[in-house]
Amino acid sequence: MQTTTLLARSRVQSILRGDSIQRLLALGALLLLLAFFSAVVPHFASTNNYIDILTATAVNGVLATGVTFVIITGGIDLSVGTGMTFTSVVMGIVAVNLGLPLPLGLLAALAAGALVGSINGALIAKAKLPPFIATLGMLYVTLGMAQVISDVHPIYFDQQPAFQGFFMSKPIVGIPNIVWVMLGGAAIAWILLNKTILGRYTFALGSNEEATRLSGVNVDRWKIIIYAVDGLFIGLAGIVIASRMNSAQPGLGMGYELDAIAAAVIGGTSLSGGEGSVVGTIIGAFLISTLRIGLSVAGIPDQWKSVITGLVVIGAVWLDILRRRSRA
Amino acid sequence: MKLTRITSLAAGTMTLALVVSACSGSATTAPAASAAAASAQASSAGGAASAYVPPTDAGAAKGKTIAIISKGEQHQFWQAVKKGALDEAAKLGVTATYQGPATESEVDKQLTMLQTALSNNPAAVCFAALDSKAAGALLAQAQASKIPVVGFDSGVDSTIPVTTVATDNTAAAAVAADHMASLIGNAGTVGVIVHDQTSQTGITRRDGFLAQMAAKYPNIKVLPPQYGAGDAVKSADIAKAMMTANPDLKGFFGANEGSIKGVLNALKETGNEGKIVAIGYDSGQQQIDAITSGVEAGAITQNPIGIGSKCVDAAVDAINGKALPQKIDTGFSWFDKTNINNPEIQAVLYK
Amino acid sequence: MSELLVEMTGISKSFPGVLALEDARFDLLPGEVHALVGENGAGKSTLMKILAGIYKRDAGSIQIKGRDEEVPSPHAAQSLGISIIHQELNLMYHLTVAQNIFIGREPRRGFLLDERALNAKAQQLFDDLHLNLDPRTRVGSLAVAQQQMVEIAKALSYNSAVLIMDEPTAALTDTEIEELFRIIRHLRDQGKGIVHISHRLEELKQISNRITVMRDGRYIATVNTAEAEIQQIISMMVGRTVFEATPELPEKRDPTVVLEVKGLNRGRQVQDISFQLHRGEILGIAGLVGAGRTEVMRAIFAADRPESGEITINGKPAAIRSPSDAVRHGIAYLSEDRKRYGLALGMDVEVNTVLASLRRFANSFGWIRTGATRKTALEHVQALAIKTPGIAQRVKNLSGGNQQKVVLAKWLTADTDVLIFDEPTRGIDVGAKSEIYRLLNDLAKQGKSIIMISSELPEVLRMSHRILVMCEGRITGELSAAEATQERIMTLATQRESVAAA
Repeated sequence: MQTTTLLARSRVQSILRGDSIQRLLALGALLLLLAFFSAVVPHFASTNNYIDILTATAVNGVLATGVTFVIITGGIDLSVGTGMTFTSVVMGIVAVNLGLPLPLGLLAALAAGALVGSINGALIAKAKLPPFIATLGMLYVTLGMAQVISDVHPIYFDQQPAFQGFFMSKPIVGIPNIVWVMLGGAAIAWILLNKTILGRYTFALGSNEEATRLSGVNVDRWKIIIYAVDGLFIGLAGIVIASRMNSAQPGLGMGYELDAIAAAVIGGTSLSGGEGSVVGTIIGAFLISTLRIGLSVAGIPDQWKSVITGLVVIGAVWLDILRRRSRA
Repeated sequence: MKLTRITSLAAGTMTLALVVSACSGSATTAPAASAAAASAQASSAGGAASAYVPPTDAGAAKGKTIAIISKGEQHQFWQAVKKGALDEAAKLGVTATYQGPATESEVDKQLTMLQTALSNNPAAVCFAALDSKAAGALLAQAQASKIPVVGFDSGVDSTIPVTTVATDNTAAAAVAADHMASLIGNAGTVGVIVHDQTSQTGITRRDGFLAQMAAKYPNIKVLPPQYGAGDAVKSADIAKAMMTANPDLKGFFGANEGSIKGVLNALKETGNEGKIVAIGYDSGQQQIDAITSGVEAGAITQNPIGIGSKCVDAAVDAINGKALPQKIDTGFSWFDKTNINNPEIQAVLYK
Repeated sequence: MSELLVEMTGISKSFPGVLALEDARFDLLPGEVHALVGENGAGKSTLMKILAGIYKRDAGSIQIKGRDEEVPSPHAAQSLGISIIHQELNLMYHLTVAQNIFIGREPRRGFLLDERALNAKAQQLFDDLHLNLDPRTRVGSLAVAQQQMVEIAKALSYNSAVLIMDEPTAALTDTEIEELFRIIRHLRDQGKGIVHISHRLEELKQISNRITVMRDGRYIATVNTAEAEIQQIISMMVGRTVFEATPELPEKRDPTVVLEVKGLNRGRQVQDISFQLHRGEILGIAGLVGAGRTEVMRAIFAADRPESGEITINGKPAAIRSPSDAVRHGIAYLSEDRKRYGLALGMDVEVNTVLASLRRFANSFGWIRTGATRKTALEHVQALAIKTPGIAQRVKNLSGGNQQKVVLAKWLTADTDVLIFDEPTRGIDVGAKSEIYRLLNDLAKQGKSIIMISSELPEVLRMSHRILVMCEGRITGELSAAEATQERIMTLATQRESVAAA
């Protein structure tokens, strides 16, 4: 009896002092930003614009969800952007060039993503490459391979009207399906991270890899699995971005990895590992696109948009450091 | 209703706007609506450039190597340039190598490529500088080693190149502006989406468009240009933000293939297809389809294959010591629904 | 006698360049605490890591309950009922207590984790050990002693018959050690076999049934604790007789105040700290772990900036805003965690020796005069009797005691007047310990002022001219060498304002 009340109390405490604070901070910043833009920037406050922001978040949200897993392990994945390009091209080749049914194309994109992730994981876990190096290498490999297998030609999905038809249609409250795909992916990621052993080992690895290994956990195998899960999200992002363009563009992808990492970091995921949350990451992704679109609607020049986005990333992490310092 | 009006307008201006390379042998017609820019274009096309007759055989250049350093390799445009160059080289019996950095911001990589090419002592170099000043020392080195340099695309801002093979982007963007003006009835708000604000093509197309609008159409308000890195998804998000901020927006000019693709995606996602005038640049499957279906009013196409082949031609002439005009204009064309299937347009489009 | 739980014979193991074990042996009975002692590098930990499946032996046999076993992995060891608690705690600080204990064996319902069952199992374990710990607490927020309990609970959760503890008391205070011993006895009475590796020989007298001594990777002897004399064990460990008499203190102290701290505050751990340090004095700081001793010293050194307080050096107020200010004012801080804060482990002895005073060895262009650095390093290696193949040896390859001497060499080179030692003999074997003591005494005689934090009461009593005792961030008392006894120190160290449930 007493144990239960103790447990309940400690749960409240842990919520108050845990990562959720960072999530609350990020959420607060997001709401503040939305309120600010809505009040100050003409035309910002409209349902259509809010839906535009949601749509603009979809690609980065999915990528950032994937990269959150590996960042929690204390790793990094620089290949998410070009990996996404690679998976969308693979889908194009299967569904258009080979003329196979669309569902097979979608599966091929996910499989290609899982393959990229598994290679990253194997390089890191088995070949013992630092994650930064392994995934930096894969950034170039996937970009190059996307161009090799497509012969540097975009692949259009005109013959598969159901593809964009499904992903960009807006059956629920006027929000396109890619946004629901992102949120669904995030929900699955949340369950994986918080309710399954995969998530438990993800946090354990980032917290103390050696201790996890000594506890009898097959650390190498789980690392590969975690990077493969990241890869699945890369594949999902490949599907999402292809559906927006109704094509697979082999030249694209550089720079997306940095947006994804920024979203995770703004959302409270620690680059030193052991801490992070999908909810935070999605909020971070929304924050980035709200900022970009808000500044665009306000007509702020491009160069200043970059400056402001950078300052927000720095500010978010700095706030987090201040919070930790005051807690210690 | 609106759609048919736009289409008929487009059809009406088509014949006036068609500007084809003098070298391709087609008729050259200056558009009435853009006297200043297009007449400049016409004069350059009818003047020095028309004097240039490509060689029919390689002569002393036969079997020699021409190193071509372009600005990129991935983009469809550069693939077409490459094809034009390599085909022409094969035809004339010279060897051509073609290289370009991955993105148009990698000035340093391009310089490394140029350095490597020069070290192999080619008979001539064709070079499309990402940054002319940065390449100054290497160009001087080429001059010292008596390797003729042919500038192409945005060219090389220097006196060293024997000639420059390029599209007159300023004039072309002015033609786009003329079409935009007539399609929206010479009044209203227009947005411009550009791939970047540092490259020569980004700057000349943007400024050509803005200058023509400012000079000719006082009732048209052009919003500050926005930049989408040539990324179709990023450009789409920007286009949507501009539409949000300016509900009365009447038209979009996308300054390269990626930018106009973004505009088309944005129109599709917001259900504004046919309601807002879209004018693009270059070609590509998506743009061709949009123009055929009338969603996109029209676009400026350069002649990438022509740029490639003229490059090799000029290099061969330079090796043979023939005099070359200062500029070789490869021309540009306005194309829309009505003329897209004409053979001379089809010849310069790429998918 | 009952059947042997573990019997290891003829065990050999070599690492590149080092023969770590040679024909070593060890056995363990059920229901006993078997202590394993030896100087650092004697091979105790290596031997036990072989038993726990972390290292593979090159030769020899292991019998568990009479059967030959290979023990190829930690996992295999666990399934044989062997658990090890490492010297460095191996916990995942971001996870909760229960999550840590059952890592790799989480109860599941289908695809999902069963967090409720997990916490209940952990609670059951704590109940069995009569421990008051909340399974949902994040391990990172626990004190070291509690973390140690988590490690023990984790080891026991494997239903281990054999529990190996490598230096379990190193980070604990006396009361916490009492608690640990209570649990060890409890487990022993349940018939488990416990291997206890320790440097604290007094402790072994209390807790162990048998003591095995190792030296230079070899088995020396096994004795029944009841019949063993500490002095005899020490001589077996070092292979010579160690002079263990109390070193004489200097008769007369210089009354000059070198360092004065007034009203220093920082958070809960540093509350209104004021004291003076005299020239040529060794000032001992005693207290339980978590009393704020390290925090006070870090605040003085400005490793953490104090919130308020004044520091006076040689009678002049000193504005110390960063560790580099502190060094410039002649204060050196030798952290208890040498490897993390004291040394550049991957660099050689020479570089480490001059690291804190590089400017002195560089000309105005920043060019380092290597002749001078080499000379200084050689002098210190000789003076401090640092056992190293040469000054080009990487510090990480030295033993704990010699690493500590390198840290000392670094600060002696910097020639600071005040030296703050935080647990100077932690993890150092008996032989090296007495050398460190002698060095401290020599430094004090030369006029250096020394502050020494130590959790080992005999050490504090033996070394200090004066002792400050801390509890919960406050100084609770000051004792002169003459009046200090273990009992008085413990009384002061437990003078709490609020007593936490233990």
